[in-house]
Amino acid sequence: MSERTPAMDGAGGDQDRGFELPPELAIDTDVARRVMADFIRGQLRQAGFERAVLGLSGGIDSGLVAYLTAEAIGPERLLCVLMPYRTSSPASRSDAETVVERLGCASEVVDISPMVDPFFEGQREASALRRGNVMARMRMTVLYDRSVTWGGLVVGTGNKTEALIGYTTLFGDSACAFNPIGDLYKSQVRQVAAAIGVPDAIIRKAPSADLWPGQTDEAEAGFAYPELDRLLFWRIDKRRSTEELVAMGFDGAWIERVDRMVAGSEFKRQVPPVAKLGPRTAGVDYLYPRRRPGAARR
Amino acid sequence: MNSLRLALAQIAPELGELGQNLERHHALLGEARGAGAGLIVFPELGLTGYLLQDLAAEVAMRLDDPRLTRLAKATSGMSAVVSFVEESADHRLFISAALLEDGAIRHVHRKLYLPTYGLFDERRFFAAGDSLRATPSRLGIGLGIAVCEDFWHLSVPALLALDGAQLLINVSSSPGRDLAATNEVGLGTASSWRSLMRTYAQLTTSFVVFCNRVGVDESISFWGGSEVIAPSGQAVLSAPLYDEGLFTVDIALADIRRERIALPLLRDERPELVVREFGRIVSERAGLADDTTAEAGSGPGLDSAPEPAR
Repeated sequence: MSERTPAMDGAGGDQDRGFELPPELAIDTDVARRVMADFIRGQLRQAGFERAVLGLSGGIDSGLVAYLTAEAIGPERLLCVLMPYRTSSPASRSDAETVVERLGCASEVVDISPMVDPFFEGQREASALRRGNVMARMRMTVLYDRSVTWGGLVVGTGNKTEALIGYTTLFGDSACAFNPIGDLYKSQVRQVAAAIGVPDAIIRKAPSADLWPGQTDEAEAGFAYPELDRLLFWRIDKRRSTEELVAMGFDGAWIERVDRMVAGSEFKRQVPPVAKLGPRTAGVDYLYPRRRPGAARR
Repeated sequence: MNSLRLALAQIAPELGELGQNLERHHALLGEARGAGAGLIVFPELGLTGYLLQDLAAEVAMRLDDPRLTRLAKATSGMSAVVSFVEESADHRLFISAALLEDGAIRHVHRKLYLPTYGLFDERRFFAAGDSLRATPSRLGIGLGIAVCEDFWHLSVPALLALDGAQLLINVSSSPGRDLAATNEVGLGTASSWRSLMRTYAQLTTSFVVFCNRVGVDESISFWGGSEVIAPSGQAVLSAPLYDEGLFTVDIALADIRRERIALPLLRDERPELVVREFGRIVSERAGLADDTTAEAGSGPGLDSAPEPAR
């Protein structure tokens, strides 16, 4: 076994690193990369696929997954689909193109405006929420279509923080065949992204769903990721009570608000329940691995 | 006493693919034999994969299963520890590890402790074994075989050593988790196991063999890191994390005697004391005897009194 000091990336501190990494969230990025690479290869192999496809937004989550997937199976087996809407920021597009260029993977640009706009024709009053959801689900539709033409599985790009607070669109950006980064908090995504070489500009910019110009996650939800990551880590991973969290310095009202977001989005993290009627019911008392012997595509 | 060459098969079994895994076992047996190994150890459920759920019944084998007999036949002149789903005559399914020697099944250990918490759900699908025995072997030393979680219970290595084991073998499918930068090898699970194995080797003054699988079943990744620890607590083999491979090491069996003379912990063990106190605790927990060590106000079988409600 290799005895070595833990890989503390950017050990020079938050200033040098360009982002804040709470110390309790720091992970060994070498081990993490190894686990995620084996996971990606294992998922594809068990399903009988050699290729993968993902939606590349220009943000850090999908950027990291593109790097991880390219590292795991080779860039020639990866298709990155850029799916801008007419209001998407041009900077996102160019950041995504930088990733494609650096990785040397296949890419395709699919403008989703001609799919989304007719959907809302005559509905000027349609809220940003509805529009955002439809955009996310159009992108999912495109990805699952390219899954057929490219012959690859759709790789998920959602992180643990947004999954826990429910900042995702059901059957939209959360839809995938498997997700290598779904157990990484946003701060940890940044740490691994820095270690694997995702361009600095992508790591440092403010996270955004990019549904309208100037939108940022943190402004919209009123939190800063490192602090939210810390709260979720202590609350969920380390099972701390409200009293203990308050004693650690977290604001009581904020804890309550985040708790509500987590509880209220439980349904987004689970497979929909089926009414139990027969002797054996999928997910209840019919329990098999997702990939059974003989199930792999030949 | 002479030296023994151990081979640890740190493999990634294919989930539910018994035929494929059997082939791999035969191939690695041959490879270990070619390398001059006297004993090859395969990981927990190496013949079936770990996260079987309802597949468990479909890959289960009885001890007289011809596939198992054929595998045993391949061990003439050597020893192997293999693990699979065992179906008993009354159709219970066990996670078993068998010692195959000189063409026959010499000993079977049924996993005693089935973790059913956190990411584990073993008790739902498997029955727990009911006995723990060390076994003599053609290697000239006693072996103590246990499966994964069994070694998270102090009594298991202690009983095996008292029962005559000089080489403790733990076969595992340990899922890696708790990736923290503060751990010695970057993985909480690995740090815990490494501490346990060194401690057991030292306390039982025995060799300890830990054979853990690699690969991925569904969400979980198995971290490998198989090890052989000498009776002094020093590691003599540490396989890499996550890499598949057949890892060999020569151990000096004389180290067992040397350590046990220098550090006669087993000589000084007090099994009669342990069994007496265990007997008392069992009676007290069953409410069959007054609990002399309980706080005042404790209910029958409990050692702690309820906290006053606030």
